[in-house]
Amino acid sequence: MATNQTNRLSSGGVIDRSTPLNFRFDGKSFSGFQGDTLASALVANGVKLVGRSFKYHRPRGILTAGSEEPNALVELRTGARREANTKATTAELYDGLEAASQNRWPSLRHDFMSVNQLFAPIFVAGFYYKTFMWPAKFWEMIYEPAIRRAAGLGRAAVAPDPDHYDKAWAHCDVVIAGSGPAGLAAALAAGRSGARVILCEEDFVPGGCLLSDDGTIDGLPAAEWLARTLAELSSMPDVRIMTRTTLFGVYDGGTYGAIERVNDHLPTPPEHQVRQRLWRIVAKRCVVAAGAIERPIVFAGNDTPGVMMASAMRTYVSRYAATPAKRIALFTNNEDGWRTVETALAAGLQIAAVIDARPDVSPAHRSLASKNGFAVLHGSVSGVDGGKDGVRKISVSLTGGARAEVEADGLAVSGGWNPAVGLTSYHRGRPKWRDEISAFVPDGAPPGMVAAGAANGDFGLGACLSQGFAAGAAAARDAGRNGNAGTAPVADDETFSLTPLWHVAGKGKAFVDQQHDVTASDIELAQREGFESVEHLKRYTTLGMATDQGKTSNVGGLAIMAAVTGKSIPETGTTIYRPPYVPVAIGAFAGHHRDETFHATRLTPSHHWAAEQGAIFVDTGLWKRAQWFPRAGEKDWLESVTREVKAVRGGVGFCDVSTLGKIDVHGPDAGAFLDRVYINTFSNLAVGKARYGLMLREDGLVYDDGTTSRLAEDHYFLTTTTAKAGLVMQHLEFCRQVLFPELDVQLTSVSDQWAQFSIAGPKTRDLLKEIVDPVEDLSNEGFPFMGAREVALRGGITARLFRISFSGEMAFEISVPARYGEAMARNLMQAGKQFGVTPYGTEALGVMRIEKGHVAGPELSGTTTATDLGLGKMMSTKKDFIGRVMAGREALVAPDRQVVVGIKPVDKARRLRSGAHIIPKGQTPGPDNDQGYVTSVCFSPTLDQWIGLGLVERGRERIGEIVHAHDPLRGEDYDVELCNPVFYDPDGGRQRG
Amino acid sequence: MAEFSWDVRSPIDRALVAGAYGARGDAGVSLTEIRNFDLVQVMARRGKAADVAKAAKARFGIAAPETPKAVGTADATLIWSGPDQFLVLSKDGRHTMDTLAPVFAGSASLSDQSHARALISISGDKARAMLAKLSSIDLHPDVFAVGAAAATSMDHTSVTLWRGPDRADGQAVFNLLAFATFAESLWHTVLDSAAEYGVTIGYSEDL
Amino acid sequence: MRITCPFCGERELGEFTYLGDAKPQRPVADAGEEAVYDYVYLRDNVAGVMAENWYHGGGCRAWLKVTRNTLTHEISSVEPAAGAGAAKVGA
Repeated sequence: MATNQTNRLSSGGVIDRSTPLNFRFDGKSFSGFQGDTLASALVANGVKLVGRSFKYHRPRGILTAGSEEPNALVELRTGARREANTKATTAELYDGLEAASQNRWPSLRHDFMSVNQLFAPIFVAGFYYKTFMWPAKFWEMIYEPAIRRAAGLGRAAVAPDPDHYDKAWAHCDVVIAGSGPAGLAAALAAGRSGARVILCEEDFVPGGCLLSDDGTIDGLPAAEWLARTLAELSSMPDVRIMTRTTLFGVYDGGTYGAIERVNDHLPTPPEHQVRQRLWRIVAKRCVVAAGAIERPIVFAGNDTPGVMMASAMRTYVSRYAATPAKRIALFTNNEDGWRTVETALAAGLQIAAVIDARPDVSPAHRSLASKNGFAVLHGSVSGVDGGKDGVRKISVSLTGGARAEVEADGLAVSGGWNPAVGLTSYHRGRPKWRDEISAFVPDGAPPGMVAAGAANGDFGLGACLSQGFAAGAAAARDAGRNGNAGTAPVADDETFSLTPLWHVAGKGKAFVDQQHDVTASDIELAQREGFESVEHLKRYTTLGMATDQGKTSNVGGLAIMAAVTGKSIPETGTTIYRPPYVPVAIGAFAGHHRDETFHATRLTPSHHWAAEQGAIFVDTGLWKRAQWFPRAGEKDWLESVTREVKAVRGGVGFCDVSTLGKIDVHGPDAGAFLDRVYINTFSNLAVGKARYGLMLREDGLVYDDGTTSRLAEDHYFLTTTTAKAGLVMQHLEFCRQVLFPELDVQLTSVSDQWAQFSIAGPKTRDLLKEIVDPVEDLSNEGFPFMGAREVALRGGITARLFRISFSGEMAFEISVPARYGEAMARNLMQAGKQFGVTPYGTEALGVMRIEKGHVAGPELSGTTTATDLGLGKMMSTKKDFIGRVMAGREALVAPDRQVVVGIKPVDKARRLRSGAHIIPKGQTPGPDNDQGYVTSVCFSPTLDQWIGLGLVERGRERIGEIVHAHDPLRGEDYDVELCNPVFYDPDGGRQRG
Repeated sequence: MAEFSWDVRSPIDRALVAGAYGARGDAGVSLTEIRNFDLVQVMARRGKAADVAKAAKARFGIAAPETPKAVGTADATLIWSGPDQFLVLSKDGRHTMDTLAPVFAGSASLSDQSHARALISISGDKARAMLAKLSSIDLHPDVFAVGAAAATSMDHTSVTLWRGPDRADGQAVFNLLAFATFAESLWHTVLDSAAEYGVTIGYSEDL
Repeated sequence: MRITCPFCGERELGEFTYLGDAKPQRPVADAGEEAVYDYVYLRDNVAGVMAENWYHGGGCRAWLKVTRNTLTHEISSVEPAAGAGAAKVGA
């Protein structure tokens, strides 16, 4: 049975009492209402102890009511959906919610590791730098595992996240962060002006402080004004209110990051929906109305459960009708804290005392005290009695030196307000100090952004409304929207009087950063040890480096540093602010891009046919390519690949090579253009002919290769390698548009237009005759080696036929428009049945190119020259081309360069491995005598042994030499012979036949 | 000797399953693949912009777009695809490489793209919401009006997107030309993005 | 970051590819090895405004000369490369 909501007021609050929700915390059942957060529901059930601290395992309660919470962090949900370090203060309650406290064993109430407190002296700032330095090897084996067990927060889920995330773009004139009075007023002004507005609110209900604090706007109670304003905004089609959405960062050019918690308020997202969505919002202007964060005062025992920010206590009482305590003391240094007293009294709660650090209290507050029978003590809280059951007694140092004690079960603390300067400071902005509020305020902002209201240091309700309205109207105007914004909403400003107080000296631990257990004495220690700069202070003590990013601790920490160094706070300065403002799940950044959809994939035109044939696919860049086509009874890939190679060499096979990049090069200057990008000449290529071309980078090293055919006087068809297709297109466009704009040449990618198949083997012509219209002459005379032209196919379509060979066999490549690609594969199978036609994959393709000594990716490695590849003679001396001059540099023409050579094992039965180093025979392997390495290997069915290609020093001069292959990765050492890289048909008779 | 049948297959022929997909109820997104179109890229030669404009006007009766726009003629749509370039989209052999080559002889270079793209027509009251997950460009009706076109990217894949005439019920229609070898992958991404709104899927031979 | 392509309008960074300094000009064929060496390897490490080559590969495939402040990422101008939009040359 769910326990009663003992601390729930009988009426009031922005909660739906008709919708009770059951939930479990640490296995115990409770109930709350729709509209609760987990924190407010715990408060309503009288739960004060919610977690144990990071280092000392001290009992901790709920400090705030928002995303700045350092303490009330829980593991939300279970199993694969378990999410560590979730703030109970922002987790929306839902029926069936399960949460568990963190960093305790065996239970929250009886935490074994709380003995850490006894060892506190060694856990001071920088403790692991000092304590665990020697012996070094102990770190990994003993220290780190022990520290990891003892320290830390929640446990991440182990199983993959079952939920989906996505990303979306939004565009608007004005994006507004925060829907409090300033944000709503900004939205009203901008919306009425005709602007496209996006209003982001991280809470699940818009309104900000209007949900917790009363007030009168335009003569209406705040709640009524809020309802009226939301109705007006909803009626504007171009105003979008996004709740559960935190604007977390600002990026160049007016792009903003926001995270929308679409379905975090449900146990599991509805079918087809995402849990969270990452928004990239492009906005002409941004109004930051993110409000301010109330700051604590640091005193001994300030982390005791029951010590709570005064504004948070107000929020729990007003918005959630939940009472954090029955008898409340207030410790304040400013006027605003007193509003909590008024709220508590109105809710029927008892005020134990107000401890006000200011010299004077207003007559109104004095009479409030006397009327309600509580004392106003001038002084400071110097200690708190209480443990895991919360605050019992408060020690007070009175101004003048006397001491007093106050009995209370809750202590509200108000140290003033820090404007939320994060967003305005993300482009290395440094906020400036404003004395009258003793706080940092934005000093400028990224282009297009302005802060308004409390985020700008102006806390009064009237000021928030008028500033927000003015900022919204100006933003709309700047975005070119000049509609009538109407009049600004009006309200009075509250008085704001504050006497700065950061730290009360006293006995016992006084926490600055509660999430990282950084105490005031840690900061003093850091200063003594020389870590005075705020950036050093932060890293040495880890102040502000937890998931809350120091929202309640940074300014307090540097105020204490300022005090111990004798500098002012602005002199001490702030650390650099960086996004995100709240933690954002990696899943949201990944969005759709995970598992099979990690990246876009490309499929060849015959992909589904190959899949039907049982092909094994390999990822090649974005492509899925058929690697081999296994047949029943074949025991491994090698058997399949060997069969495919033999079938090609002995008969005929075909392979989808559509992945090659294909580019139409058009125009009167197409030939001249190609002469400049290739090392060899293309302007003299006859129409109807193909030629192998090699491109260099401007630094003289090889970039890419491929065959280019001349289909018409002013039309070349260029192919690239699969890997470099996109890059070569980019490079050629650079040459066309930037380097050689005087040439009349046009480039178009036609990679996807054509399904291209290599047909290879001695029976290629027999097979082609079945497919190609009989009028076409495929004889050596009618279609010689390196011929290229259109041919008619039986059945009435036109193809392009290229007599080129990568395999070394009699071969053609045939292209048909891509929608015919699958039909082509089927027709080749049907027509080739009588010749034993065999589809082959990229493995067989690779085997045959190694047998033939053709270079590919492993040799085109970005370190090789044309000469290294044995293609130096192709370099024209009659023209300029990209890379020509640099290719002639001394080091690139040195005689001892590593060049392509064939490699075969001395022991014919041995398997070769690529990557093995080549060492001269009889020498000890090592960097001094490393002469190169094996680049590509395969089992050659033709030679019935493993063969390879390698890059070896002076390799071509050393044919026949026995050298040593050293493979430390696999622990292999063996002798190999350097040989001619063309293992198969070295005089090329077969491909010309 | 056997004759061969040259069946055409759209690049998303296998992936496309006509009917309903995703959330039940009224479909927020309607996806229609247009199959078997002719698509020719016309790229003006150096200094020949005026000649191309004249030739296009003579052939199509309207000026070819010189800014990111798509313009409809009686039997074709001319879609801007980059500086000096536009695509001619048509059906049934009205404007093919063969028929356009003489029109632009000497003034422009033509490349056949008929088989290089898949064409998907997207509409429905959630079309913009769905496209916001895929496209970084602003599709607000005031910004991306009927006839607006963009050479852009979706899911790191180059696409051509343009807004055709509104449907009879007033719904906006977005046309998406995607590269054929990426099309199946992009199709699945589109479905993932649209699933929460409910999808109705079909295909058509009509432009 | 967003770049306003002179042909397409304002687009997000993901549609563009960065190449680098647009100042070095490819030397003429007989300029000699020193000149080419400078062109290929020697770059200023500019802290401030510089002209850069960017490729709108995810859009219209135009090469652009983008003038950008490397400290603030502020873009002050975007111009097409000489050969982008060449059909209008001489018009």
